[in-house]
Amino acid sequence: MALLSDEDRQVVRTHLADLEHDVRLLLFTQTIGGPDTALIAKQILDELAGLSERLSIEEVNFVLEKERAAAYGVDKIPAIVVLRDGEDTRIRFYGAPAGYEFMSLVEAVILAGGDDSGLTEESRKLIAGVQEPISLKVFVTPT
Amino acid sequence: MAVESPQITAACVEATEFMELSRRYRVSGVPKTMVNGKVEILGAVPEDEFVRQVLSLDA
Repeated sequence: MALLSDEDRQVVRTHLADLEHDVRLLLFTQTIGGPDTALIAKQILDELAGLSERLSIEEVNFVLEKERAAAYGVDKIPAIVVLRDGEDTRIRFYGAPAGYEFMSLVEAVILAGGDDSGLTEESRKLIAGVQEPISLKVFVTPT
Repeated sequence: MAVESPQITAACVEATEFMELSRRYRVSGVPKTMVNGKVEILGAVPEDEFVRQVLSLDA
């Protein structure tokens, strides 16, 4: 059964129509003994990938490809890493992107697929001056 | 912010799926943002305020 309704699909397709870059979502999962949420994440991403030619999904085995997980700093699953033209955008999603998080994921895809962060000129200037690594973790719930 | 700076990583964490992590950062309401595991930003705050709070670590 599809997780997205026909209506949702149409709305998302419209939002993804103007992607200027190729966006790839790396889904780190574990097929055997992994959390159920990994299966849900996989299904959601498969449905999402069909909505834009610019968008693709690659499933990565968290256990078998430890080095790749480490390279992206992925330490738990399910995890989604957002790539723009193959380059890391440093945007991550942990957990199944259902509910509220699904819209955030769509927004992240739009962000990665475009050239405008949407931030104000002032914010951009401040951020451009950052010299040390900053790690942001935004905790959310599906509802 | 992550797309604006190679120094910034932004992770969206589903709190109920990662209870241990949520407990460690005492997440009792969402959205809650942790900056480098130290600074807490509660709720959805305006962009300019959010950016300032995130960057205060650098000062």
